[in-house]
Amino acid sequence: MFTINPFSELSASISPLVMQGYVVLMILMVIGGTVLDMIHKKSAQYFFENAKKAKKSAKRSVDSGEKASIAVQVLLNEVLTSGEFCNVKRRLSHLLTMYGFILFVAATAIMIFAYPTPATPTPAILPILWHIGALMLAIGGYWFWFFIRVDVSAEGLSWYRFERADLFIVSLLTTATFGLIWSFTQSQGIAGWSTLAFVLFIASSTMLFGSVFWSKFAHMFFKPAAAFQKRVTKADGSRENLPLDYDLTDPAVQAKFPDIPQYMGTNPPYMGPGIRRESANHY
Amino acid sequence: MGYKTIIEDDIDVLIAGAGLGGTGAAFEARYWGKDKKIVIAEKANIDRSGAVAQGLYAINCYMGTRWGENNPEDHVRYARMDLMGMVREDLAFDMARHVDSAVHQFEEWGLPLMKDPKSGKYMREGRWQIMIHGESYKPIVAEAAKKSADKVFNRICVTHLLMDDAKENRIAGAVGFNVRTGNYHVFKSKTVICGAGGASNIFKPRSVGEGAGRVWYAPWSSGSAYGLMIEAGAKMTQMENRIVLARFKDGYGPVGAYFLHLKTYTQNGLGEEYESKWFPKLTEMVGKEYLDTEGQHLSHKPIPTCLRNHAFISEVNAGRGPIHMVTMEAFQDPHLEEIGWHNFLGMTVGQAVLWAATDVDPKYENPELTTSEPYVMGSHATGCGAWCSGPEDVSPDDYYWGYNRMTTVDGLFGAGDAVGGTPHAFSSGSFTEGRLAAKAACKYIDDGKAEGIRVSEQQIADLKKKIYKPLETYKVYSNEIVGGSVNPNFINPRQGLDRLQKLMDEYCGGFGVNYMTNEKLLQIGLKKMKTLEEDMEKIAASDIHELLRAWELNHRVRTSESVFQHTLFRKETRWPGYYYRGDAMKLDDQNWHVLTVSHRDRKTGEYTMEKAPLYHLVGDE
Amino acid sequence: MPTFVYMTRCDGCGQCVDICPSDIMHIDKTLRRAYNIEPNMCWECYSCVKACPHQAIDVRGYADFAPLGHSVRVLRDEEKGTIAWRIKFRNGKKDMDLLAPITTKPWGTAIPKLAEESAPSNDMRDGELLFNEPKYVRMDEGGLHTLESNGLKLKEGVYY
Repeated sequence: MFTINPFSELSASISPLVMQGYVVLMILMVIGGTVLDMIHKKSAQYFFENAKKAKKSAKRSVDSGEKASIAVQVLLNEVLTSGEFCNVKRRLSHLLTMYGFILFVAATAIMIFAYPTPATPTPAILPILWHIGALMLAIGGYWFWFFIRVDVSAEGLSWYRFERADLFIVSLLTTATFGLIWSFTQSQGIAGWSTLAFVLFIASSTMLFGSVFWSKFAHMFFKPAAAFQKRVTKADGSRENLPLDYDLTDPAVQAKFPDIPQYMGTNPPYMGPGIRRESANHY
Repeated sequence: MGYKTIIEDDIDVLIAGAGLGGTGAAFEARYWGKDKKIVIAEKANIDRSGAVAQGLYAINCYMGTRWGENNPEDHVRYARMDLMGMVREDLAFDMARHVDSAVHQFEEWGLPLMKDPKSGKYMREGRWQIMIHGESYKPIVAEAAKKSADKVFNRICVTHLLMDDAKENRIAGAVGFNVRTGNYHVFKSKTVICGAGGASNIFKPRSVGEGAGRVWYAPWSSGSAYGLMIEAGAKMTQMENRIVLARFKDGYGPVGAYFLHLKTYTQNGLGEEYESKWFPKLTEMVGKEYLDTEGQHLSHKPIPTCLRNHAFISEVNAGRGPIHMVTMEAFQDPHLEEIGWHNFLGMTVGQAVLWAATDVDPKYENPELTTSEPYVMGSHATGCGAWCSGPEDVSPDDYYWGYNRMTTVDGLFGAGDAVGGTPHAFSSGSFTEGRLAAKAACKYIDDGKAEGIRVSEQQIADLKKKIYKPLETYKVYSNEIVGGSVNPNFINPRQGLDRLQKLMDEYCGGFGVNYMTNEKLLQIGLKKMKTLEEDMEKIAASDIHELLRAWELNHRVRTSESVFQHTLFRKETRWPGYYYRGDAMKLDDQNWHVLTVSHRDRKTGEYTMEKAPLYHLVGDE
Repeated sequence: MPTFVYMTRCDGCGQCVDICPSDIMHIDKTLRRAYNIEPNMCWECYSCVKACPHQAIDVRGYADFAPLGHSVRVLRDEEKGTIAWRIKFRNGKKDMDLLAPITTKPWGTAIPKLAEESAPSNDMRDGELLFNEPKYVRMDEGGLHTLESNGLKLKEGVYY
């Protein structure tokens, strides 16, 4: 199962052109959904106005060289390692889901465009990565669904409660799950079930990419933009009106705030976590 | 309804409400009950629950006996003066002699207490107050409580106390529901220490929209201590003694540090000193013993809070408002300016936000003050609460029935706002009361007083039905209407609260009537309260959060009824500036130099009022 | 001045939901991020603001009486043991920074576990002393104040 390209087998009943057309259509739906969402909410207008407003309280200007370096940092930290998450479980689950999704989608596209039929034999690594991607997506996703979703972990709601915010994760999970079932049943030659699984797989992925306007899908574009802007505010000193991060051993800080050295000493110890020591689900 | 019943059994000490009072009780209970099962049930999250959520910038009850600054009886006399005589002096003396040990332990635990660089003593704000950097006051004491307790149940709204089915008038635990999961929680316990807080939002607040949240006392102080204890049949005292505070307008930010440490003072709208103008008339009203106009400037005795309020209110009513605080002088000193801002940030951030929003810089303008709507609680300049036994070595027989801080219900103890007659306890005093109650509760158990408690399945089942009824009501009767919040069959908690607040304001002396009431008004008010209580049977909640609000309202209603009864009973104006009895506008020591005590019959709801003798500390001859 | 949550900063971690003393920070059903469901029960205690790991929560003064354009933001750093505030006035004329200690010792390390303390004697049980007393009352070897020690009596009647 894991080394077989399921699309290549499928090309017997569905033309590769149709499959490739479908992939292109999905990409267009993502772009379209995101753009429509931004136009509808005027979120781009808000974003740039907000950035302008923040710039007014900037203490220094950030040149394009620095901005480029910030962009790289965003890519390396917030994007590639999901660095924004403070909670280890959430971060791990997101990494699994994110990389699983990327592997899955990339492998799908490559297999459909470069090795669509049995005539072009697929190198075994691609379907392996496709299956690994789907599995990672499923593991990270189900973990998130049952345990990590904040409405379950903080609000005490039941895991089977479904709301609009779940559209994204549910369609991700059904896509991955039915994709795996389809690959399995097709490779085992279980004709009727494999067709059903394939239909559900396509329905799920269409829902996933088609519901971008209503789901949390577009966060993958907005979040990096927000992370970039947040770093810029730190670099230019406006800091979103937040206070500074003080070095308590700095004599200038100690002079400005004499109560610090008076009650904590000139080299205050590490105080450790207080309220943060316990995880945030006290009920 | 699909909610599980979760029973926690064999508890020795159940702490209902983990504010400063409750955490003190939990902490101390472990020392006297090494092997006892100590359980905390808290409505929110113990790390930030209660009135000290934001932190405090001062500990207002510290004797300083360590440095020979005060003796406990000095504090008792101060409280007596401030409350126009109406104090349980045995309880107050007991609290004052212990409170310093709590404060010293807080310092040891890491709470930054400010020190006077010259003397090395704690930095005093005033005679009883010391300044602290107390933003994390609550998390620190919460940690102490957590270290002692066996289990901490957060997000449990305790709705009722359980009564012993085997023996009349004995406590058997408490029940409530989990505000997250919705499950029904039953706590079977030999004793209950009630620290569930005083009451805000029972009188109409001055701000009505979002601003209804900017109350002086926390909005989550739903009078649950009173609601729980009254319902259990405990006697209450001094519930008429509501407090009105003169604070910064709208934000209700604290003025203590400003007056005492920054040495600011008040003026009327014309820039004049106005307080002393009203003293002669006040002296006529309350008597020379309480306000000696001639001798005032010689004796430098502090003037009772309520009387200062009276001057404030009268001046504003005479058309010479607004009253403002003269800060322009003090704030020229940048160090004092910083203290002024820190004072807000450590205690009432909302005031800092307001000044930032309105561009008020106390260096260049003198901010406005106002008198607040009334609050009912027992640890500030007021002493509402349960009628409790005092300590054996201090209390006269009238005030003692076996166990310190025990109410008239066996096994039910109080701490903090819950205990009546101990004003000026503040945070440290409430914590101390919790400690005293915990020791007594352990003794109560060790003396075998909690043997043979039985709670019937029927009681548990009946209470479960009662608790979830609002959800049921909502579900069933929503079928009548298309949508919206107007339904002829029920009221939601917000609607109920609006009605209660208007009722209390108009008939029980809220700010809207300049704190004035009389017998006629109180009788009408009581009648309306009765109707409200009937409608409370029809309160509806659409979800668990609203159910929480519904039960908070229930406790507020129970508290308000008690306030009405007590206000009606005391036929005098003992605290002009807190409220006035238009039909008895004088202080009457002949007939009313007593404490008022009430009892609400558990089954019939009938109120019986009595006068309790007032004892004062006098020098031993 | 009730709280609000920045859309671009909140990732729905639930810390604010867990800490709010008023039970008003909850998760939006469409976006799975936090928001204030009942601003008129918000005390502006800043518990949620301080608890948010991304500083995604801020406060806008109560609409009843607070004009727009102000900012009071905070950074509570448990590990440093400090709380930093920044106050910006609506008219821009004031931009204050304040810093205060919130603890003098690492959290919880100096708080005793009373289960491990030696048990009180019977004398202590029968008397009026609490844990660490009488020492911690005056930090000396003296005893607890009583009516006798202070030359007092409780008498019924009208005294001032």
